[in-house]
Amino acid sequence: MRERPVRERAARRLPGWVLAVPAWLWLTVFFVVPFLQVAWFSLGEKPGMFGTHSNEVMSFDRYAEAFSSTFFTIFRATLWMSLIGTLACLLVALPAAYFMASKVPAHRRGLLVALVMVPYWTSFLIRTIGWKVILSSEGALAGFLTEVGLVSDPHALLNTRGAVLLGLIYNYLPLMILPLYVAFDRVDGALGEASKDLGAGRVRTFFQVTLPLARPGIIAGIVLVFIPMMGDYVTPAVLGGAKGTMVGSLIASQFLTAQNWALGSAMAVVLILLTMVVVVLAISLLWGVGWLVHRRSRLVIGLAPPPETRVRAKEVATA
Amino acid sequence: MSRPSGTNIALGAWTALVFLFLFAPILVIGIYSFNGGRLLSTWGGFSLEPFTAIVDRPTVRHAVVVSLQTAVVAAVLASALGTLAGMAMARFPGRWTGPFTVLLLLVSVTPEIVDGIALLPWFVTLGQDWSLLPFSNGYVRLVIGHSLFATAVVTYIVRARLVGLDSSLEEASADLYARPVATFFKVTLPLVAPAVLAGGLLAFTLSLDNTVISSFINVSGTTSWPVYVFSAVRSGLRPEIAAVSTLLLVVTLLALGVVARVLKRSGASVTDTMAAA
Repeated sequence: MRERPVRERAARRLPGWVLAVPAWLWLTVFFVVPFLQVAWFSLGEKPGMFGTHSNEVMSFDRYAEAFSSTFFTIFRATLWMSLIGTLACLLVALPAAYFMASKVPAHRRGLLVALVMVPYWTSFLIRTIGWKVILSSEGALAGFLTEVGLVSDPHALLNTRGAVLLGLIYNYLPLMILPLYVAFDRVDGALGEASKDLGAGRVRTFFQVTLPLARPGIIAGIVLVFIPMMGDYVTPAVLGGAKGTMVGSLIASQFLTAQNWALGSAMAVVLILLTMVVVVLAISLLWGVGWLVHRRSRLVIGLAPPPETRVRAKEVATA
Repeated sequence: MSRPSGTNIALGAWTALVFLFLFAPILVIGIYSFNGGRLLSTWGGFSLEPFTAIVDRPTVRHAVVVSLQTAVVAAVLASALGTLAGMAMARFPGRWTGPFTVLLLLVSVTPEIVDGIALLPWFVTLGQDWSLLPFSNGYVRLVIGHSLFATAVVTYIVRARLVGLDSSLEEASADLYARPVATFFKVTLPLVAPAVLAGGLLAFTLSLDNTVISSFINVSGTTSWPVYVFSAVRSGLRPEIAAVSTLLLVVTLLALGVVARVLKRSGASVTDTMAAA
Protein backbone atom coordinates (compact mmCIF):
# COMPACT_ATOMS: atom_id res chain seq x y z
CA MET A 1 0.00 0.00 0.00
CA ARG A 2 2.13 2.84 -1.22
CA GLU A 3 -0.75 5.29 -1.21
CA ARG A 4 -0.93 5.41 2.54
CA PRO A 5 1.72 8.03 3.36
CA VAL A 6 0.00 10.68 1.22
CA ARG A 7 -3.33 10.02 2.75
CA GLU A 8 -2.02 10.07 6.30
CA ARG A 9 -0.01 13.20 5.80
CA ALA A 10 -2.92 14.98 4.17
CA ALA A 11 -5.25 13.73 6.85
CA ARG A 12 -3.20 15.33 9.61
CA ARG A 13 -3.74 18.81 8.18
CA LEU A 14 -7.18 18.55 6.62
CA PRO A 15 -9.31 15.52 5.89
CA GLY A 16 -9.54 14.91 2.11
CA TRP A 17 -13.31 14.73 1.96
CA VAL A 18 -13.39 18.46 2.76
CA LEU A 19 -12.77 18.96 -0.97
CA ALA A 20 -16.20 17.50 -1.70
CA VAL A 21 -17.98 19.74 0.83
CA PRO A 22 -18.66 22.69 -1.54
CA ALA A 23 -20.30 20.44 -4.15
CA TRP A 24 -22.16 18.57 -1.44
CA LEU A 25 -23.51 21.79 0.11
CA TRP A 26 -24.38 23.25 -3.28
CA LEU A 27 -26.36 20.19 -4.36
CA THR A 28 -28.04 19.94 -0.97
CA VAL A 29 -29.20 23.56 -0.96
CA PHE A 30 -30.29 23.68 -4.60
CA PHE A 31 -31.35 20.10 -5.27
CA VAL A 32 -32.26 18.18 -2.12
CA VAL A 33 -33.91 20.99 -0.14
CA PRO A 34 -36.01 22.28 -3.08
CA PHE A 35 -37.23 18.75 -3.67
CA LEU A 36 -38.12 18.32 0.01
CA GLN A 37 -40.06 21.57 -0.24
CA VAL A 38 -42.01 20.12 -3.18
CA ALA A 39 -42.79 17.02 -1.14
CA TRP A 40 -43.99 19.30 1.69
CA PHE A 41 -46.16 21.40 -0.67
CA SER A 42 -47.75 18.25 -2.06
CA LEU A 43 -49.37 17.64 1.34
CA GLY A 44 -51.00 21.08 1.38
CA GLU A 45 -53.64 22.76 -0.77
CA LYS A 46 -54.27 25.77 -2.99
CA PRO A 47 -55.80 28.49 -0.82
CA GLY A 48 -58.37 30.46 -2.81
CA MET A 49 -57.92 32.18 -6.13
CA PHE A 50 -54.64 34.01 -5.67
CA GLY A 51 -52.49 31.81 -3.44
CA THR A 52 -50.22 29.14 -4.89
CA HIS A 53 -49.92 26.84 -1.87
CA SER A 54 -50.73 26.56 1.80
CA ASN A 55 -49.85 23.92 4.35
CA GLU A 56 -52.36 24.91 7.04
CA VAL A 57 -54.46 21.85 6.40
CA MET A 58 -52.35 18.76 5.80
CA SER A 59 -53.80 15.90 3.79
CA PHE A 60 -53.21 13.43 1.00
CA ASP A 61 -56.08 15.01 -0.96
CA ARG A 62 -53.79 16.35 -3.69
CA TYR A 63 -52.62 12.81 -4.38
CA ALA A 64 -56.23 11.69 -4.69
CA GLU A 65 -56.73 14.59 -7.10
CA ALA A 66 -53.64 13.62 -9.09
CA PHE A 67 -55.12 10.13 -9.47
CA SER A 68 -58.57 11.41 -10.49
CA SER A 69 -59.75 10.25 -13.91
CA THR A 70 -58.77 13.43 -15.85
CA PHE A 71 -55.17 13.33 -14.78
CA PHE A 72 -54.89 9.58 -14.53
CA THR A 73 -55.67 9.22 -18.25
CA ILE A 74 -52.64 11.37 -19.00
CA PHE A 75 -50.45 9.43 -16.56
CA ARG A 76 -51.48 6.22 -18.31
CA ALA A 77 -50.88 7.69 -21.76
CA THR A 78 -47.44 8.95 -20.69
CA LEU A 79 -46.54 5.54 -19.31
CA TRP A 80 -47.61 3.81 -22.53
CA MET A 81 -45.80 6.29 -24.76
CA SER A 82 -42.61 5.95 -22.71
CA LEU A 83 -42.80 2.14 -22.67
CA ILE A 84 -43.42 1.92 -26.42
CA GLY A 85 -40.80 4.62 -27.05
CA THR A 86 -38.18 2.81 -24.95
CA LEU A 87 -38.91 -0.51 -26.66
CA ALA A 88 -38.73 1.13 -30.10
CA CYS A 89 -35.41 2.78 -29.16
CA LEU A 90 -34.08 -0.62 -28.10
CA LEU A 91 -35.19 -2.32 -31.32
CA VAL A 92 -33.82 0.47 -33.52
CA ALA A 93 -30.53 0.77 -31.61
CA LEU A 94 -29.76 -2.95 -31.14
CA PRO A 95 -28.80 -3.84 -34.75
CA ALA A 96 -26.97 -0.53 -35.25
CA ALA A 97 -24.97 -0.82 -32.01
CA TYR A 98 -24.14 -4.46 -32.77
CA PHE A 99 -22.99 -3.54 -36.26
CA MET A 100 -20.86 -0.67 -34.97
CA ALA A 101 -19.22 -2.76 -32.26
CA SER A 102 -18.56 -6.01 -34.10
CA LYS A 103 -18.62 -5.48 -37.89
CA VAL A 104 -17.03 -2.06 -38.39
CA PRO A 105 -13.19 -2.03 -38.50
CA ALA A 106 -11.82 -0.95 -35.11
CA HIS A 107 -10.19 2.27 -36.29
CA ARG A 108 -13.48 3.62 -37.68
CA ARG A 109 -15.55 2.92 -34.58
CA GLY A 110 -14.49 6.08 -32.74
CA LEU A 111 -15.74 8.23 -35.59
CA LEU A 112 -19.14 6.50 -35.61
CA VAL A 113 -19.50 6.90 -31.84
CA ALA A 114 -18.64 10.61 -32.20
CA LEU A 115 -21.30 10.89 -34.93
CA VAL A 116 -23.91 9.35 -32.62
CA MET A 117 -22.98 11.94 -30.00
CA VAL A 118 -23.30 14.97 -32.29
CA PRO A 119 -27.12 14.97 -32.24
CA TYR A 120 -27.06 14.27 -28.52
CA TRP A 121 -25.03 17.41 -27.87
CA THR A 122 -27.03 19.49 -30.34
CA SER A 123 -29.80 21.52 -28.76
CA PHE A 124 -32.61 19.17 -27.81
CA LEU A 125 -35.19 21.86 -28.52
CA ILE A 126 -33.77 22.70 -31.94
CA ARG A 127 -33.68 19.07 -33.05
CA THR A 128 -37.32 18.74 -32.05
CA ILE A 129 -38.14 21.91 -33.99
CA GLY A 130 -36.33 20.30 -36.95
CA TRP A 131 -38.92 17.52 -36.84
CA LYS A 132 -41.67 20.12 -36.61
CA VAL A 133 -40.39 21.57 -39.90
CA ILE A 134 -40.14 18.11 -41.50
CA LEU A 135 -43.64 17.10 -40.42
CA SER A 136 -45.31 20.46 -41.09
CA SER A 137 -48.19 20.61 -43.56
CA GLU A 138 -46.10 22.80 -45.91
CA GLY A 139 -43.13 20.40 -45.75
CA ALA A 140 -41.95 18.13 -48.54
CA LEU A 141 -42.81 14.99 -46.57
CA ALA A 142 -46.47 15.91 -46.11
CA GLY A 143 -46.67 16.87 -49.80
CA PHE A 144 -45.14 13.57 -50.89
CA LEU A 145 -47.32 11.43 -48.62
CA THR A 146 -50.47 13.23 -49.78
CA GLU A 147 -49.41 12.87 -53.41
CA VAL A 148 -48.83 9.13 -53.01
CA GLY A 149 -52.11 8.84 -51.15
CA LEU A 150 -50.74 7.53 -47.84
CA VAL A 151 -52.38 10.38 -45.96
CA SER A 152 -55.45 12.28 -47.08
CA ASP A 153 -54.73 15.51 -45.22
CA PRO A 154 -51.29 17.22 -45.11
CA HIS A 155 -52.13 18.39 -41.57
CA ALA A 156 -52.40 14.79 -40.36
CA LEU A 157 -48.70 14.43 -39.45
CA LEU A 158 -48.01 17.15 -36.90
CA ASN A 159 -49.77 17.60 -33.55
CA THR A 160 -50.53 13.92 -33.09
CA ARG A 161 -49.55 11.24 -30.60
CA GLY A 162 -47.55 9.63 -33.39
CA ALA A 163 -45.49 12.78 -33.91
CA VAL A 164 -44.71 12.95 -30.18
CA LEU A 165 -43.71 9.28 -30.16
CA LEU A 166 -41.42 9.84 -33.15
CA GLY A 167 -39.86 12.83 -31.38
CA LEU A 168 -39.34 10.81 -28.18
CA ILE A 169 -37.68 7.93 -30.03
CA TYR A 170 -35.52 10.35 -31.97
CA ASN A 171 -34.45 12.46 -29.00
CA TYR A 172 -33.37 9.59 -26.76
CA LEU A 173 -31.99 7.17 -29.38
CA PRO A 174 -28.32 8.20 -28.82
CA LEU A 175 -28.73 7.40 -25.11
CA MET A 176 -29.70 3.85 -26.11
CA ILE A 177 -27.07 3.35 -28.81
CA LEU A 178 -24.09 4.38 -26.64
CA PRO A 179 -24.48 1.93 -23.71
CA LEU A 180 -25.42 -0.88 -26.12
CA TYR A 181 -22.33 -0.13 -28.19
CA VAL A 182 -20.12 -0.18 -25.10
CA ALA A 183 -21.70 -3.46 -23.99
CA PHE A 184 -21.28 -5.20 -27.37
CA ASP A 185 -17.77 -3.81 -27.63
CA ARG A 186 -16.85 -5.48 -24.33
CA VAL A 187 -18.26 -8.90 -25.25
CA ASP A 188 -15.26 -11.09 -25.87
CA GLY A 189 -15.20 -12.18 -29.51
CA ALA A 190 -13.60 -15.48 -28.51
CA LEU A 191 -16.81 -16.54 -26.77
CA GLY A 192 -18.75 -16.13 -30.00
CA GLU A 193 -16.08 -18.14 -31.84
CA ALA A 194 -16.29 -20.85 -29.19
CA SER A 195 -20.06 -20.98 -29.56
CA LYS A 196 -19.73 -21.37 -33.35
CA ASP A 197 -17.04 -24.03 -32.91
CA LEU A 198 -19.42 -25.93 -30.70
CA GLY A 199 -21.90 -26.01 -33.55
CA ALA A 200 -24.26 -23.15 -32.75
CA GLY A 201 -25.41 -21.11 -35.74
CA ARG A 202 -24.90 -17.36 -35.94
CA VAL A 203 -28.42 -16.56 -34.85
CA ARG A 204 -28.23 -18.93 -31.92
CA THR A 205 -24.82 -17.54 -30.93
CA PHE A 206 -26.21 -14.01 -30.98
CA PHE A 207 -29.26 -14.81 -28.87
CA GLN A 208 -27.65 -17.26 -26.44
CA VAL A 209 -24.13 -15.83 -26.06
CA THR A 210 -23.75 -12.23 -27.23
CA LEU A 211 -27.11 -10.82 -26.15
CA PRO A 212 -27.06 -12.24 -22.59
CA LEU A 213 -23.50 -10.91 -22.15
CA ALA A 214 -24.64 -7.46 -23.26
CA ARG A 215 -27.42 -7.42 -20.66
CA PRO A 216 -25.87 -4.74 -18.42
CA GLY A 217 -25.74 -2.40 -21.43
CA ILE A 218 -29.35 -3.15 -22.33
CA ILE A 219 -30.47 -2.39 -18.78
CA ALA A 220 -28.42 0.83 -18.71
CA GLY A 221 -29.91 1.92 -22.04
CA ILE A 222 -33.47 1.23 -20.91
CA VAL A 223 -32.98 3.19 -17.68
CA LEU A 224 -31.24 6.10 -19.45
CA VAL A 225 -34.02 6.38 -22.03
CA PHE A 226 -37.13 5.59 -20.02
CA ILE A 227 -36.59 8.00 -17.11
CA PRO A 228 -36.20 11.22 -19.12
CA MET A 229 -38.98 10.13 -21.51
CA MET A 230 -41.43 9.94 -18.61
CA GLY A 231 -40.59 13.49 -17.59
CA ASP A 232 -40.27 14.98 -21.06
CA TYR A 233 -42.01 18.28 -21.50
CA VAL A 234 -40.37 19.82 -24.57
CA THR A 235 -41.16 17.10 -27.14
CA PRO A 236 -44.93 16.99 -26.50
CA ALA A 237 -45.08 20.80 -26.38
CA VAL A 238 -43.38 21.16 -29.77
CA LEU A 239 -44.78 18.18 -31.69
CA GLY A 240 -47.97 17.24 -29.90
CA GLY A 241 -50.01 20.42 -29.77
CA ALA A 242 -53.13 19.82 -27.74
CA LYS A 243 -53.28 16.09 -28.50
CA GLY A 244 -49.93 14.94 -27.21
CA THR A 245 -50.16 16.12 -23.61
CA MET A 246 -47.86 14.20 -21.26
CA VAL A 247 -47.42 14.36 -17.50
CA GLY A 248 -44.62 16.89 -17.89
CA SER A 249 -46.94 19.36 -19.61
CA LEU A 250 -49.57 18.73 -16.95
CA ILE A 251 -47.15 19.50 -14.10
CA ALA A 252 -45.83 22.55 -15.92
CA SER A 253 -49.31 23.96 -16.39
CA GLN A 254 -50.07 23.54 -12.66
CA PHE A 255 -47.00 25.63 -11.83
CA LEU A 256 -47.03 28.16 -14.66
CA THR A 257 -50.70 28.76 -15.53
CA ALA A 258 -53.06 27.22 -12.94
CA GLN A 259 -50.77 28.42 -10.10
CA ASN A 260 -51.70 25.35 -8.08
CA TRP A 261 -48.32 24.41 -6.62
CA ALA A 262 -49.78 21.88 -4.22
CA LEU A 263 -51.37 19.79 -6.97
CA GLY A 264 -48.37 20.23 -9.28
CA SER A 265 -46.05 19.04 -6.48
CA ALA A 266 -48.20 15.97 -5.82
CA MET A 267 -48.12 15.15 -9.55
CA ALA A 268 -44.33 15.49 -9.62
CA VAL A 269 -43.98 13.13 -6.65
CA VAL A 270 -46.33 10.62 -8.30
CA LEU A 271 -44.32 10.87 -11.54
CA ILE A 272 -41.06 10.09 -9.74
CA LEU A 273 -42.55 7.18 -7.78
CA LEU A 274 -44.23 5.73 -10.87
CA THR A 275 -40.98 5.99 -12.86
CA MET A 276 -39.01 4.29 -10.10
CA VAL A 277 -41.52 1.45 -9.76
CA VAL A 278 -41.50 0.77 -13.52
CA VAL A 279 -37.70 0.87 -13.69
CA VAL A 280 -37.35 -1.58 -10.79
CA LEU A 281 -39.99 -3.88 -12.34
CA ALA A 282 -38.31 -3.77 -15.74
CA ILE A 283 -34.87 -4.55 -14.32
CA SER A 284 -36.17 -7.47 -12.26
CA LEU A 285 -38.05 -8.76 -15.30
CA LEU A 286 -34.90 -8.66 -17.43
CA TRP A 287 -32.84 -10.39 -14.75
CA GLY A 288 -35.61 -12.95 -14.30
CA VAL A 289 -35.76 -13.74 -18.00
CA GLY A 290 -31.97 -13.95 -18.11
CA TRP A 291 -31.95 -16.32 -15.16
CA LEU A 292 -34.57 -18.59 -16.77
CA VAL A 293 -32.68 -18.71 -20.07
CA HIS A 294 -29.49 -19.43 -18.19
CA ARG A 295 -31.12 -22.25 -16.24
CA ARG A 296 -32.53 -23.85 -19.36
CA SER A 297 -29.32 -23.70 -21.34
CA ARG A 298 -27.09 -24.69 -18.42
CA LEU A 299 -24.79 -27.50 -19.32
CA VAL A 300 -23.50 -29.92 -16.75
CA ILE A 301 -20.56 -31.87 -18.07
CA GLY A 302 -20.38 -35.54 -17.21
CA LEU A 303 -23.02 -37.91 -15.88
CA ALA A 304 -25.60 -36.73 -13.39
CA PRO A 305 -23.50 -36.01 -10.33
CA PRO A 306 -24.39 -37.31 -6.88
CA PRO A 307 -26.60 -34.87 -4.90
CA GLU A 308 -23.81 -33.37 -2.73
CA THR A 309 -21.67 -32.31 -5.72
CA ARG A 310 -24.63 -30.94 -7.65
CA VAL A 311 -24.36 -27.62 -5.86
CA ARG A 312 -20.77 -27.23 -6.92
CA ALA A 313 -21.60 -28.07 -10.54
CA LYS A 314 -24.16 -25.28 -10.48
CA GLU A 315 -21.57 -22.87 -9.16
CA VAL A 316 -19.25 -23.80 -11.99
CA ALA A 317 -22.06 -23.29 -14.47
CA THR A 318 -22.90 -19.85 -13.09
CA ALA A 319 -19.26 -18.83 -13.06
CA MET B 1 -12.48 -8.60 -41.07
CA SER B 2 -15.95 -9.79 -42.00
CA ARG B 3 -17.29 -11.17 -45.23
CA PRO B 4 -20.05 -9.11 -46.83
CA SER B 5 -22.77 -11.66 -46.10
CA GLY B 6 -26.49 -10.92 -46.45
CA THR B 7 -26.93 -10.34 -42.74
CA ASN B 8 -24.01 -7.94 -42.58
CA ILE B 9 -25.30 -5.93 -45.53
CA ALA B 10 -28.72 -5.71 -43.89
CA LEU B 11 -27.12 -4.63 -40.60
CA GLY B 12 -25.02 -2.03 -42.39
CA ALA B 13 -28.00 -0.65 -44.28
CA TRP B 14 -29.98 -0.42 -41.04
CA THR B 15 -27.11 1.44 -39.35
CA ALA B 16 -26.93 3.87 -42.29
CA LEU B 17 -30.68 4.51 -41.96
CA VAL B 18 -30.28 5.11 -38.22
CA PHE B 19 -27.60 7.72 -38.91
CA LEU B 20 -29.78 9.36 -41.56
CA PHE B 21 -32.60 9.47 -39.00
CA LEU B 22 -30.28 10.99 -36.37
CA PHE B 23 -29.09 13.76 -38.67
CA ALA B 24 -32.28 14.51 -40.64
CA PRO B 25 -33.66 17.29 -38.40
CA ILE B 26 -30.20 18.84 -37.93
CA LEU B 27 -29.71 19.03 -41.70
CA VAL B 28 -33.19 20.49 -42.10
CA ILE B 29 -32.42 23.22 -39.54
CA GLY B 30 -29.14 23.93 -41.32
CA ILE B 31 -30.90 24.32 -44.68
CA TYR B 32 -33.78 26.36 -43.26
CA SER B 33 -31.31 28.85 -41.74
CA PHE B 34 -31.22 30.26 -45.26
CA ASN B 35 -34.99 30.45 -45.54
CA GLY B 36 -36.08 33.83 -46.88
CA GLY B 37 -39.73 33.26 -45.93
CA ARG B 38 -41.52 34.86 -43.01
CA LEU B 39 -42.20 31.63 -41.10
CA LEU B 40 -39.66 28.88 -40.42
CA SER B 41 -41.74 25.99 -41.81
CA THR B 42 -42.63 27.72 -45.07
CA TRP B 43 -39.75 27.80 -47.52
CA GLY B 44 -39.56 31.22 -49.16
CA GLY B 45 -36.43 30.98 -51.27
CA PHE B 46 -32.74 31.22 -50.42
CA SER B 47 -31.69 34.26 -48.40
CA LEU B 48 -29.09 35.40 -45.90
CA GLU B 49 -31.69 37.53 -44.14
CA PRO B 50 -32.08 35.19 -41.14
CA PHE B 51 -28.42 35.77 -40.29
CA THR B 52 -28.61 39.55 -40.60
CA ALA B 53 -31.78 39.48 -38.47
CA ILE B 54 -29.62 38.35 -35.52
CA VAL B 55 -27.87 41.70 -35.59
CA ASP B 56 -30.99 43.71 -36.40
CA ARG B 57 -33.30 42.31 -33.76
CA PRO B 58 -32.33 43.33 -30.22
CA THR B 59 -34.48 40.68 -28.48
CA VAL B 60 -32.74 37.89 -30.37
CA ARG B 61 -29.32 39.36 -29.69
CA HIS B 62 -30.09 39.91 -26.02
CA ALA B 63 -31.31 36.32 -25.54
CA VAL B 64 -28.16 34.92 -27.14
CA VAL B 65 -25.93 37.14 -25.00
CA VAL B 66 -27.79 36.10 -21.82
CA SER B 67 -27.27 32.45 -22.77
CA LEU B 68 -23.57 32.84 -23.49
CA GLN B 69 -22.92 34.78 -20.27
CA THR B 70 -24.86 32.26 -18.17
CA ALA B 71 -23.09 29.35 -19.84
CA VAL B 72 -19.63 30.75 -19.06
CA VAL B 73 -20.40 31.42 -15.38
CA ALA B 74 -22.25 28.11 -14.92
CA ALA B 75 -19.38 26.21 -16.56
CA VAL B 76 -16.75 27.86 -14.33
CA LEU B 77 -18.82 27.22 -11.22
CA ALA B 78 -19.58 23.59 -12.10
CA SER B 79 -15.91 22.99 -12.99
CA ALA B 80 -14.73 24.34 -9.63
CA LEU B 81 -17.25 22.35 -7.58
CA GLY B 82 -16.94 19.21 -9.71
CA THR B 83 -13.13 19.21 -9.82
CA LEU B 84 -12.82 19.40 -6.04
CA ALA B 85 -15.48 16.74 -5.53
CA GLY B 86 -14.02 14.45 -8.21
CA MET B 87 -10.56 14.72 -6.66
CA ALA B 88 -11.92 13.95 -3.22
CA MET B 89 -13.76 10.90 -4.56
CA ALA B 90 -10.71 9.55 -6.38
CA ARG B 91 -8.03 10.28 -3.78
CA PHE B 92 -9.77 10.26 -0.42
CA PRO B 93 -12.51 7.64 -0.66
CA GLY B 94 -14.17 6.68 2.56
CA ARG B 95 -17.53 6.04 4.10
CA TRP B 96 -18.79 9.37 2.67
CA THR B 97 -18.31 8.27 -0.99
CA GLY B 98 -21.36 5.98 -1.01
CA PRO B 99 -23.98 8.57 -0.03
CA PHE B 100 -22.26 11.19 -2.20
CA THR B 101 -22.38 8.90 -5.24
CA VAL B 102 -26.08 8.32 -4.59
CA LEU B 103 -26.61 12.11 -4.48
CA LEU B 104 -24.78 12.58 -7.81
CA LEU B 105 -26.76 9.72 -9.32
CA LEU B 106 -30.04 11.29 -8.18
CA VAL B 107 -28.99 14.64 -9.63
CA SER B 108 -28.20 12.97 -12.97
CA VAL B 109 -31.35 10.86 -13.33
CA THR B 110 -33.97 13.27 -11.99
CA PRO B 111 -36.02 14.55 -14.94
CA GLU B 112 -35.26 18.20 -15.56
CA ILE B 113 -38.87 19.17 -15.09
CA VAL B 114 -38.67 18.08 -11.45
CA ASP B 115 -35.57 20.25 -10.92
CA GLY B 116 -37.42 23.11 -12.58
CA ILE B 117 -40.62 22.92 -10.54
CA ALA B 118 -38.60 22.41 -7.34
CA LEU B 119 -36.29 25.37 -7.95
CA LEU B 120 -39.07 27.83 -8.86
CA PRO B 121 -40.80 27.78 -5.43
CA TRP B 122 -37.43 27.55 -3.69
CA PHE B 123 -36.19 30.74 -5.38
CA VAL B 124 -39.47 32.43 -4.47
CA THR B 125 -39.02 31.31 -0.86
CA LEU B 126 -35.41 32.54 -0.74
CA GLY B 127 -35.91 35.75 -2.72
CA GLN B 128 -39.31 36.95 -1.54
CA ASP B 129 -40.08 35.29 1.79
CA TRP B 130 -36.55 35.47 3.18
CA SER B 131 -35.60 38.66 1.27
CA LEU B 132 -32.37 37.18 -0.10
CA LEU B 133 -32.55 39.46 -3.14
CA PRO B 134 -29.91 37.76 -5.36
CA PHE B 135 -32.27 34.81 -5.78
CA SER B 136 -34.76 37.03 -7.57
CA ASN B 137 -32.08 37.92 -10.12
CA GLY B 138 -32.52 36.11 -13.43
CA TYR B 139 -28.82 35.49 -14.03
CA VAL B 140 -28.26 34.02 -10.57
CA ARG B 141 -31.25 31.72 -11.02
CA LEU B 142 -30.09 30.51 -14.44
CA VAL B 143 -26.53 29.89 -13.26
CA ILE B 144 -27.73 27.87 -10.26
CA GLY B 145 -30.22 25.89 -12.33
CA HIS B 146 -27.63 25.03 -14.96
CA SER B 147 -24.86 24.19 -12.49
CA LEU B 148 -26.56 21.17 -10.86
CA PHE B 149 -26.33 18.47 -13.53
CA ALA B 150 -23.11 20.02 -14.86
CA THR B 151 -21.45 19.65 -11.43
CA ALA B 152 -22.29 15.95 -11.46
CA VAL B 153 -20.88 15.57 -14.99
CA VAL B 154 -17.60 17.32 -14.13
CA THR B 155 -17.27 15.24 -10.97
CA TYR B 156 -17.65 11.99 -12.95
CA ILE B 157 -15.10 13.04 -15.57
CA VAL B 158 -12.48 14.28 -13.08
CA ARG B 159 -12.92 11.22 -10.90
CA ALA B 160 -12.58 8.90 -13.91
CA ARG B 161 -9.38 10.70 -14.96
CA LEU B 162 -7.78 10.51 -11.51
CA VAL B 163 -8.75 6.91 -10.86
CA GLY B 164 -6.94 6.08 -14.10
CA LEU B 165 -3.72 7.74 -12.87
CA ASP B 166 -1.84 6.26 -9.95
CA SER B 167 -0.98 8.59 -7.13
CA SER B 168 2.80 8.15 -7.24
CA LEU B 169 3.42 11.71 -8.46
CA GLU B 170 1.47 13.15 -5.56
CA GLU B 171 3.33 10.82 -3.19
CA ALA B 172 6.64 11.99 -4.59
CA SER B 173 5.58 15.58 -4.08
CA ALA B 174 4.61 14.85 -0.49
CA ASP B 175 7.85 12.93 0.11
CA LEU B 176 9.73 16.01 -1.05
CA TYR B 177 7.99 17.94 1.72
CA ALA B 178 5.60 19.91 -0.46
CA ARG B 179 2.63 21.06 1.55
CA PRO B 180 -0.71 19.53 0.53
CA VAL B 181 -1.82 22.88 -0.94
CA ALA B 182 1.34 23.10 -3.06
CA THR B 183 0.92 19.47 -4.15
CA PHE B 184 -2.64 20.24 -5.11
CA PHE B 185 -1.82 23.24 -7.26
CA LYS B 186 1.48 22.05 -8.73
CA VAL B 187 0.88 18.33 -9.22
CA THR B 188 -2.74 17.21 -8.98
CA LEU B 189 -4.35 20.14 -10.78
CA PRO B 190 -2.10 19.92 -13.88
CA LEU B 191 -2.81 16.17 -13.95
CA VAL B 192 -6.57 16.67 -14.00
CA ALA B 193 -6.49 19.79 -16.21
CA PRO B 194 -7.59 17.97 -19.39
CA ALA B 195 -10.55 16.44 -17.54
CA VAL B 196 -11.46 19.83 -16.03
CA LEU B 197 -11.36 21.45 -19.46
CA ALA B 198 -13.45 18.68 -20.98
CA GLY B 199 -15.97 18.82 -18.13
CA GLY B 200 -16.12 22.60 -18.26
CA LEU B 201 -16.80 22.66 -21.99
CA LEU B 202 -19.49 20.03 -21.61
CA ALA B 203 -21.02 22.10 -18.83
CA PHE B 204 -20.92 25.09 -21.18
CA THR B 205 -22.79 23.28 -23.96
CA LEU B 206 -25.29 21.80 -21.48
CA SER B 207 -26.04 25.28 -20.15
CA LEU B 208 -26.35 26.75 -23.63
CA ASP B 209 -28.99 24.11 -24.40
CA ASN B 210 -30.94 24.12 -21.15
CA THR B 211 -34.62 24.73 -21.87
CA VAL B 212 -36.72 23.08 -19.21
CA ILE B 213 -35.20 24.37 -15.97
CA SER B 214 -34.65 27.80 -17.52
CA SER B 215 -38.25 28.19 -18.63
CA PHE B 216 -39.48 27.57 -15.08
CA ILE B 217 -37.10 29.89 -13.26
CA ASN B 218 -37.14 32.52 -16.00
CA VAL B 219 -37.30 36.15 -14.89
CA SER B 220 -38.47 38.57 -17.59
CA GLY B 221 -35.56 40.68 -18.77
CA THR B 222 -33.10 37.81 -18.58
CA THR B 223 -34.70 35.40 -21.02
CA SER B 224 -32.14 32.88 -22.24
CA TRP B 225 -32.03 31.82 -25.90
CA PRO B 226 -33.72 28.39 -25.54
CA VAL B 227 -36.52 29.95 -23.48
CA TYR B 228 -37.00 32.56 -26.20
CA VAL B 229 -37.19 29.80 -28.83
CA PHE B 230 -39.52 27.70 -26.69
CA SER B 231 -41.97 30.57 -26.28
CA ALA B 232 -41.71 31.22 -30.04
CA VAL B 233 -42.94 27.64 -30.64
CA ARG B 234 -46.35 28.86 -29.53
CA SER B 235 -46.27 32.35 -31.03
CA GLY B 236 -44.66 31.47 -34.38
CA LEU B 237 -41.17 30.29 -35.31
CA ARG B 238 -39.14 32.56 -37.56
CA PRO B 239 -36.16 31.56 -39.76
CA GLU B 240 -33.63 33.47 -37.64
CA ILE B 241 -34.20 30.87 -34.93
CA ALA B 242 -32.73 28.28 -37.30
CA ALA B 243 -29.88 30.66 -38.18
CA VAL B 244 -28.88 31.25 -34.55
CA SER B 245 -29.18 27.52 -33.84
CA THR B 246 -26.88 26.70 -36.72
CA LEU B 247 -24.30 29.13 -35.38
CA LEU B 248 -24.65 27.74 -31.85
CA LEU B 249 -24.32 24.22 -33.23
CA VAL B 250 -21.04 25.19 -34.87
CA VAL B 251 -19.83 26.64 -31.53
CA THR B 252 -20.89 23.43 -29.73
CA LEU B 253 -19.19 21.20 -32.27
CA LEU B 254 -15.99 23.24 -32.02
CA ALA B 255 -16.13 22.90 -28.23
CA LEU B 256 -16.67 19.15 -28.54
CA GLY B 257 -13.84 18.93 -31.04
CA VAL B 258 -11.55 20.58 -28.50
CA VAL B 259 -12.76 18.15 -25.83
CA ALA B 260 -12.06 15.16 -28.06
CA ARG B 261 -8.61 16.52 -28.94
CA VAL B 262 -7.66 17.20 -25.35
CA LEU B 263 -8.90 13.84 -24.12
CA LYS B 264 -7.16 12.01 -26.93
CA ARG B 265 -3.87 13.74 -26.19
CA SER B 266 -4.22 13.00 -22.49
CA GLY B 267 -4.79 9.35 -23.28
CA ALA B 268 -8.40 8.93 -22.20
CA SER B 269 -10.83 7.58 -24.75
CA VAL B 270 -13.80 9.78 -25.55
CA THR B 271 -16.13 6.81 -25.31
CA ASP B 272 -15.01 6.02 -21.78
CA THR B 273 -15.50 9.60 -20.65
CA MET B 274 -18.92 9.78 -22.25
CA ALA B 275 -19.85 6.46 -20.71
CA ALA B 276 -18.76 7.87 -17.35
CA ALA B 277 -20.86 10.95 -17.97
